[in-house]
Amino acid sequence: MSFQILEVEFILFLVYNCALKLSGRTSVNKTISSWRQRLYRQFSLMLANQPKLGYYLLPLLHWNKPQWHPDYHSASVVDFCWETDQMLSVRLKPAASWSGFTPGQHILVTLLHQGRYISRSFSISSSAALFAQQKQILISCRIQPQGEFTKALASDISGLTELSISDAMGDFVLAPSADSTGLTSTVMVAAGSGITPLWSMLSSIRCWTSPVVLFYSVKNAAQAAFLAELKLLAAKQPLFELRLIETEITGRLNLVQDLATKADFSMTQAQYYLCGPAAMSQHCKEQLIQQGVPADAIHSEQFGFALTAVEGEMKQALILQKGTEIRIEAAAGVPLLQAAEQQGLNPRFGCRIGVCFQCVCQKKSGQVLNLRTGQVSGDGPEQIQLCISAAHSNLQIEL
Amino acid sequence: MKLNEQQLAALATELDAVKAGVMTQLGEKEANYIRRMLLTQRLCAISGRILMVLGFITPWLWALGVVLLALAKILDNMEIGHNVLHGQYDWMNDPVLHSQRFEWDIACDAGSWKRTHNFEHHTYTNIIGKDRDFGYGLLRLSNDFRWRLRNLWQFVTYLVLSTLFQWGVSYHELAGERVFFGKKKPDRVNSISHSDLKKAFFGKGARQLFKDYVFFPLIAGPMWLWVLAGNLVANLIRNLWTSTVIFCGHFTADVHTFTQEQCEGESRGHWYYRQILGSSNFTGHRWFHILTGHLSCQIEHHLYPDMPALHYLTVAPQVQAIAKKYGIAYNSGSFVKQYATVVARIIRYSFPGGKATPA
Repeated sequence: MSFQILEVEFILFLVYNCALKLSGRTSVNKTISSWRQRLYRQFSLMLANQPKLGYYLLPLLHWNKPQWHPDYHSASVVDFCWETDQMLSVRLKPAASWSGFTPGQHILVTLLHQGRYISRSFSISSSAALFAQQKQILISCRIQPQGEFTKALASDISGLTELSISDAMGDFVLAPSADSTGLTSTVMVAAGSGITPLWSMLSSIRCWTSPVVLFYSVKNAAQAAFLAELKLLAAKQPLFELRLIETEITGRLNLVQDLATKADFSMTQAQYYLCGPAAMSQHCKEQLIQQGVPADAIHSEQFGFALTAVEGEMKQALILQKGTEIRIEAAAGVPLLQAAEQQGLNPRFGCRIGVCFQCVCQKKSGQVLNLRTGQVSGDGPEQIQLCISAAHSNLQIEL
Repeated sequence: MKLNEQQLAALATELDAVKAGVMTQLGEKEANYIRRMLLTQRLCAISGRILMVLGFITPWLWALGVVLLALAKILDNMEIGHNVLHGQYDWMNDPVLHSQRFEWDIACDAGSWKRTHNFEHHTYTNIIGKDRDFGYGLLRLSNDFRWRLRNLWQFVTYLVLSTLFQWGVSYHELAGERVFFGKKKPDRVNSISHSDLKKAFFGKGARQLFKDYVFFPLIAGPMWLWVLAGNLVANLIRNLWTSTVIFCGHFTADVHTFTQEQCEGESRGHWYYRQILGSSNFTGHRWFHILTGHLSCQIEHHLYPDMPALHYLTVAPQVQAIAKKYGIAYNSGSFVKQYATVVARIIRYSFPGGKATPA
């Protein structure tokens, strides 16, 4: 009898445990929520032929919010100022749905300009404190005369009330050791507008425990954004050292040589943060590795993939196909579709004369030349026709 | 009149210049136009569906609802969908107006449409054996095709096709690929598997049927029969209208057909030449052009499938002048006249023989 009771109890115990596991386990919740998502998607497709009902209602929402983009968060423009004669800072207040950032990260900023959405990545240049206290962030961008986005931003800025921004992205952030334990020192290298993520990191450090040196390479002091703030920080904070390199006067930065003259400093004991043109980052990285600095102590940020408008015939295209990256050579004047096929890829295609739009794919960064019209595209993300586009700079493309 | 390669090259240069004149100016005007069109479509669809339920007050409200829903479907398919799927508004980078993301309120899956229409029909326009839109494999519309017994009653076939046009369009690719019936062609290279074709066909078709004939009638409660009938009529109006417009674009009396040999390795100029001769325009009021999705300017559409359609009317006089200069027939007339020649053509080729179509 008692044995039977024990048995029943044991079975109950098992059932109870299973139920607990099933209900408490994230895998079950995940299955339920993924089912709910799939159901919602099917419902929305059925009702509106859109993956989300919001897309169907978009034309109605645009009635009074023309800037609104359903894939991003809206951000209102609080004000703007010119840091230098070329660098524009815009103060944004993101909508409550935006989940914040870690200093050093970047966002994709989207602007409705003359009827079309154009986008570009920008590092956030303000401190974590500004966001924590006022829910505001700053983006700073150098206005380039041939840059599509920055030119549009500069011309629209005075009447602009709203923008769209993506979630914060990227892993170019301070390693925990630099901020708290103080075991290692930190070397930052900024060139030109590459100062923005580094200034965000510096101005966010609340508790200084280890030395930080910033090499800030600019053409001349007039072009150096945040210089006054950096000087103020250097005067106030003994652990921070600012080294301004004016390339017009002293020539290019030689990082290793400069570091060698630094007292009480071991090159292999530091964390490095590099932000600037791809060539600069690459050069510094190679030099440091030669000096025995471990590769995982060198952090660098460049937007997308080397974006310089390359001279000469051969460009490189970095093609992302189902999660894998493939690098191909793309000669100037040769359709990207042909270049990709010659190197073993087989993108979808149709007419091959620019009519049918079967080969359209997402260009993430870089400029292409339209072989039929001779027009050069902007360098932001947009869709291109592979069969009539040729590389104009290095490219990043998603198939 | 035949043009030599030099003349064809000059023709291409002139037609390219007309296109560049529009494409380099694209901006706010076109964006606002298509966004306004999308807003109109949404308002028509939503108010149409609501008014149908209010039919219990007076049947006139129901009738108005049906007309508005039919209008919404026509705008969605013609002025918005067809043009957006051609990539005419890709430059806007707008998530609801992009050829790669757009899906429309019709039984045909957008991906299937882009393969059969954007690629096959627009690349190989009126080339017998390559452009399956010439007669849709159902109708004999020129003496390039051998006469068969079933052609005898093809006018009835045409009427049935028009009535069920959205299903004809959606089944078109599966028919060509011989998914269910017919002999498989061994040399055919499939860009998409049969199972994917079936999945898209049944998935999209089922969603459309469920929406119009189950979901909306169900939520209408006691008015379910009115809503169901209203949706049926709205779909019918849309089917008849789209079919009629499309038949007037390529099957009028004077359109030309081409052989595969004529078009092998053709130049850009010859492609333009073929597009002008293979299409026909019809005239009408501004709102009439919008309802046809500017397919009333079929010639301009075939020359510039990726130009925002509202510009077809503005470039039409230039295109017509260029065609005249090179002695290429520019086929245009009133809607009634063009449609009469379509009907005549369908009936004429129901019987054996018929004169050769010029090329």
